[in-house]
Amino acid sequence: MAKIAFVEASKQYKGTSQPAVDAVTFEVPEGAICMLLGTSGSGKTTLLRMANRLIEPTGGAIFIDGKNILEEDPIQLRRRIGYVIQQVGLFPHMTIAENTRVTAEIAGGWKRETLNQRVDELLELVGLPPAEYRKRYPRQLSGGQQQRVGLARALATDPTIMLMDEPFGALDAITRTRMQDELLRIQRGVRKTVLFVSHDVDEAFKLGDQIAVLSEGKLIQIGTPIELLTRPANDFVRKLVGADNILRQLQYLPVTAALDHDASAVSLPDEERPSCTSHATLLDAMLQLLQTRASALMIVDGTTELGLITLASINREITTARTKTEQPESEQEASRI
Amino acid sequence: MQYILSPYNYDLTDPESIPNLFLQHLWLVGLTMLISLVIAIPLGLLAARYKGLYAPLIAVADILYTIPSIAMVAFLISVTGLTLPTILIPLVLYTQLVLVRNIVAGINNLDPLLIEVGKAMGMSSLQLFWRVRLPLALPTIVAGIRIATVTTIGIASLAGLVAEGGLGDLIFKNLASGETNAVVAGAILLAVLAVVVDLLLLSLQVALNRGRSSLSVS
Repeated sequence: MAKIAFVEASKQYKGTSQPAVDAVTFEVPEGAICMLLGTSGSGKTTLLRMANRLIEPTGGAIFIDGKNILEEDPIQLRRRIGYVIQQVGLFPHMTIAENTRVTAEIAGGWKRETLNQRVDELLELVGLPPAEYRKRYPRQLSGGQQQRVGLARALATDPTIMLMDEPFGALDAITRTRMQDELLRIQRGVRKTVLFVSHDVDEAFKLGDQIAVLSEGKLIQIGTPIELLTRPANDFVRKLVGADNILRQLQYLPVTAALDHDASAVSLPDEERPSCTSHATLLDAMLQLLQTRASALMIVDGTTELGLITLASINREITTARTKTEQPESEQEASRI
Repeated sequence: MQYILSPYNYDLTDPESIPNLFLQHLWLVGLTMLISLVIAIPLGLLAARYKGLYAPLIAVADILYTIPSIAMVAFLISVTGLTLPTILIPLVLYTQLVLVRNIVAGINNLDPLLIEVGKAMGMSSLQLFWRVRLPLALPTIVAGIRIATVTTIGIASLAGLVAEGGLGDLIFKNLASGETNAVVAGAILLAVLAVVVDLLLLSLQVALNRGRSSLSVS
């Protein structure tokens, strides 16, 4: 069963002609990070805030763990969901420790001593040494540090679902990269189901197990980063994800997509052929080939040899990927002639 | 100065002695503030909740505030005579403007983001009030109480006009008879009381402002 399911979810504000969210339907599997990608006004934030009913849907239904959240008490619902926003929103009159535990206190069911320990664990998890930060006030922390506390606070109740609204948008590029890495690291340990709103395509590709592209309230396409890259639903998606972007293709296509079956292209004996893990990307393989000046790499999955990869086969794959996405245009040209 | 230091003026059985006048003054100010808060807090909470109430409420409080205190006292003498209400009513009415305005400002000048965050973590309205709205509003509210109290200390000096004593007595009763020592003593004591109370309430205000810069009220 999908963790989160939107079924024809809609939001129509009174007095507007277009719905902010228009019959959006998709599912998010448990433990996945689903990026809600779109420009301003695409409805991505509205959709996110419907998941914890800060905004009430005017149409459709939203299911969490198979239960319709519209039939549940919104307050109880929100106590089970973690929420992180761009402006952080730490309570200025509370210390870092108090801020971190407030979600758990509201949700209830935690003993005081356990909470203190939990706060320390959470601060440690987000990279803020508790002894140093526990008694400080938000005002004394930098933007990046505040957002770490925001993340800790959202994790305090150990929710299975996290809603994140451009949480790193207000941070400088360096801190943003660091925080994205931190999120991936934490996610490897806790495997939460995350809905993450972003207008940054690079961020979507980096963090997303799944990307939902939204425009003007409608869901345009949903799929893995590779699916969006190699099979964009239309021109809008193609341009948005930069499907023509060679670097992006290199960065996201796996080495297993470019195995070279032309054995005659390889002239080195087996012992002198460097190896490359099957989890690597085309970019990793290309760089390794260029650095080692080998004519081929052996793709290895554990101890199994899967095949060879060469610069030629990488080039072929990129060209194929490019042609696939260019096809709609060339078809149009053909029909015009 | 000699008046203050002269032990002759500390005879507790003498209603005109310094300690007695001082206590009378304190009592009058305390009573005023108590009644003022009992009226202003509900009014303020309602005006904060129902925006339509704010403008008319403040307009009325403002008119009351504008009427010179001595005029109101003089007018009331003809209605309620030389009694406690004659000085108490003007005192209470004068505080309303500052108190209601600060209570509403304190509650409403809250960053709406914090309310959204509070709601998103599943706070009920009551939890939002006790954990977020009230603590953040308190410094502003206490600032209002501070200003109201200090103003009341000053205007309460008119209590002498209605034979209710207070430090004002030292000033008014002795002005006519030319006892400048007593007059100056009254003035000094009044000023000292006002400053001390102001500083005490200021330190309360700063203490409530923890986490934010000491004197800001937002």
